[in-house]
Amino acid sequence: MIRQLLNGNEAAAAAARLAKIEVMAAYPITPASGVMEGLSRHIAAGELRCNFIRVESDHSALASLIGAALCGVRTFSATNSQGLAYMSELLYHASGLRLPVVMAVVNRALSAPHSRFPEHGDAMAQEASGWIQLYCENNQEVLDTLLQAFYLAEDEQVSLPAMVNYESYIQSHTREVVEVPAQEEVDAFLPRRLQAWLDVEHPRGINVVTGPELYMDYKYAQDEALQRALAVCGQVNEAFAARFGRDWGGAAEGYRLEGAELAMVTMGSMAATARMAVDQLRDEGQKVGLLKVRLFRPFPAPRILRMLVGVQTVLVIDRNIIYGSGGALAREVRSVLSHQSDTPVYSFIAGLGGREVGTGDLVKMYHDARQAQASGKKPAPYAWYGLTG
Amino acid sequence: MSKSLTLPRTPSAEAGTMARSSLARVWREQRPLVKMDLCNLCGRCLFYCPEGALAGGREILANLDFCKGCGICANECPARAIVMQPEYTKDPGLIGGDE
Repeated sequence: MIRQLLNGNEAAAAAARLAKIEVMAAYPITPASGVMEGLSRHIAAGELRCNFIRVESDHSALASLIGAALCGVRTFSATNSQGLAYMSELLYHASGLRLPVVMAVVNRALSAPHSRFPEHGDAMAQEASGWIQLYCENNQEVLDTLLQAFYLAEDEQVSLPAMVNYESYIQSHTREVVEVPAQEEVDAFLPRRLQAWLDVEHPRGINVVTGPELYMDYKYAQDEALQRALAVCGQVNEAFAARFGRDWGGAAEGYRLEGAELAMVTMGSMAATARMAVDQLRDEGQKVGLLKVRLFRPFPAPRILRMLVGVQTVLVIDRNIIYGSGGALAREVRSVLSHQSDTPVYSFIAGLGGREVGTGDLVKMYHDARQAQASGKKPAPYAWYGLTG
Repeated sequence: MSKSLTLPRTPSAEAGTMARSSLARVWREQRPLVKMDLCNLCGRCLFYCPEGALAGGREILANLDFCKGCGICANECPARAIVMQPEYTKDPGLIGGDE
């Protein structure tokens, strides 16, 4: 193990190198380009034997990886926002074909208006694509989660593609100290369990036309496999923690939730800020904790429900907007709670397109939610926080 | 949900076969009937068949797994030896065919 000063993209490239990816295909896009640049350097330096396919689009990048994954090799790509949207059609191919492609997604706001700044909207737009979705808080978690994602995606109970999300600039271009594990340790953690579907000795037709009598059964099997990722995610976390000494909590992590009356729920980099807000509020005697969701697809409903036992108020902060509906995370949390409790869920849309969300903002959201609850008002479906107008 | 089905994890089928649902016979509306007493074995039907579903030798045979029933062969036949026979005869709800 060595400690290095890495930005999120470099941490992602280091993880892919350690995972000994065999085929990489990517198209440059800001801010994800750093991942392919990092891997180019690893390949040029002889640190990684990998076929790097330079393609003409993100669409072609994923198409190439689907072909490669059908041959039973470990595949990887990186993209964001417009590139991910352009891949959309192929995302569904990869999940429907049950191929464990792993991809770093450097969350950036979608155009229009044109932006380059952090937001989860690009990945949320693909929530129904059948991909496992994991979200990271810092650069160490980017490296660790990518290693876990290969394990999770390739587990034979799962066999589905996975995207590991971290935010543009806040993570992709900010350097932090990252512990880079030794190759032997990663080799031992991450066995190769890949199946080749394309084999010249046993030719098969892939993705043949499937009529109403079978299509739905394939979809049922696919959904079942994605649901199995919930349990496997916990196993991966345990195996990872045992070997590397870092326990990220699996599908979700609680921070100072013991005795909390209000739980803040968020994902990604905002979880790091929320820790500071929780510390500050706890110092002031407020009973508040943080629930950080790492696994968004499949959504870990039973786990979240257990973690929120005893909590009287929930405050969800979404760095995304599903137009006409609200925050994607708030919607999931409400859905989970609707079965077993009448806990009010306050939902804030914040930080879109890179708008700053500091500790003070989260503290203010906390007080806003508390006041609203004290006044007996039912929570609005969602509220926009921090508009300048 | 039919639990008895064992589907391959990746939607696929062994080469040389197709998934049951994609066999043309499920939805083909008509099939070529070759009258060998009129056929002069010129091979035009083989060349024009867009699916390669016809094979020639001593007689012309249609592979009905792949024939779409388009009728191009019948249209091109200079000897008028191919006629298109409807798959639906008496009962329109039944798929014709004896294979």
